[in-house]
Amino acid sequence: MASSQELSDFLRDVERRAFKQMAYAVRDEHAAMDIVQDSMLKLAEKYASKPVTEYPMLFQRILQNTMKDFWRRQKVRNLWTSLLSSFGAGQDGEEDRDPLDSIDIGNESENPMVQLERSQTMKIIEKALEKLPARQREAFILRYWEDMDVAETAAMMGCSQGSVKTHCSRALHTMAALLNKQGLSGTIVNLEQSQE
Amino acid sequence: MNIDNIKQEDKEQLEMQAKQIASLLDEQANHLSMRTLKQLEEGRARAIKAHAQRLANADVNVDGTLSLIATWATHHRLVASGLVLAMIISSFVVLQALNNNESSDAFLLGSELPPEAFVDRGFEPSLNRHENI
Repeated sequence: MASSQELSDFLRDVERRAFKQMAYAVRDEHAAMDIVQDSMLKLAEKYASKPVTEYPMLFQRILQNTMKDFWRRQKVRNLWTSLLSSFGAGQDGEEDRDPLDSIDIGNESENPMVQLERSQTMKIIEKALEKLPARQREAFILRYWEDMDVAETAAMMGCSQGSVKTHCSRALHTMAALLNKQGLSGTIVNLEQSQE
Repeated sequence: MNIDNIKQEDKEQLEMQAKQIASLLDEQANHLSMRTLKQLEEGRARAIKAHAQRLANADVNVDGTLSLIATWATHHRLVASGLVLAMIISSFVVLQALNNNESSDAFLLGSELPPEAFVDRGFEPSLNRHENI
């Protein structure tokens, strides 16, 4: 059974990545935050008795299921919103913007040019990632970002290992094509070296 | 052979690029806004509080058996309510059988009257008649 400290360490380790993954998947930061917070709570409430070694797989599964729940709810909500859309037009969220949103925890000592280049590269990568079909993006993220092997990714996605390989291969080719189109294939290597 | 080599090299290059992208995404995930980090921290605090509460409950019922049963009952509501109903009916039947013990051997042997008195159908009317007199 994992202690509260172990759970805290685990969540601290994965929460940022989980948030970004959900943000790419649902393309809405508020919804992504809700999904991550719900998943954290579900992990703590339902799997308190599990050892901490099982948490990475469990948390990923909970995240995926919570995201699917979100899509289901969204589908129903969209139906009603489209029916009632004519009543609530012309509202803008600009007034609600919080200055805290724009404060970034970055490395201030870094060269501004490198920072700029990185932010532009990241925007292109994030766009490319968002353009991927959902299953390909899921396979890419689990396989390369979460560093799972093919069997684990297949178990997580509920499909065969062959399907995972196909999704990953297609995702890689699409990403490479999109990045090459933007002339980014060499820039990534340079940026990686500048990080080190 | 050459085509195979080229394919393999292509695959390795793509995989390397994927890992580089993952590394950049990782780096990007560490540059979240203050508000987002605060919200994540709040979510984590809530989860840890719930976890601590769960652990405390598990301590109360030793190895969490009660909470396990409660969780099972919550997930299988129909079966659980069926079981409760069956228990109520069976306990009612057992209680009825215990109350209706006039015909039991223990009652017959423990009674002041001899067992033949209960077999004789004319005994009770005659007893009633004598009481009326």
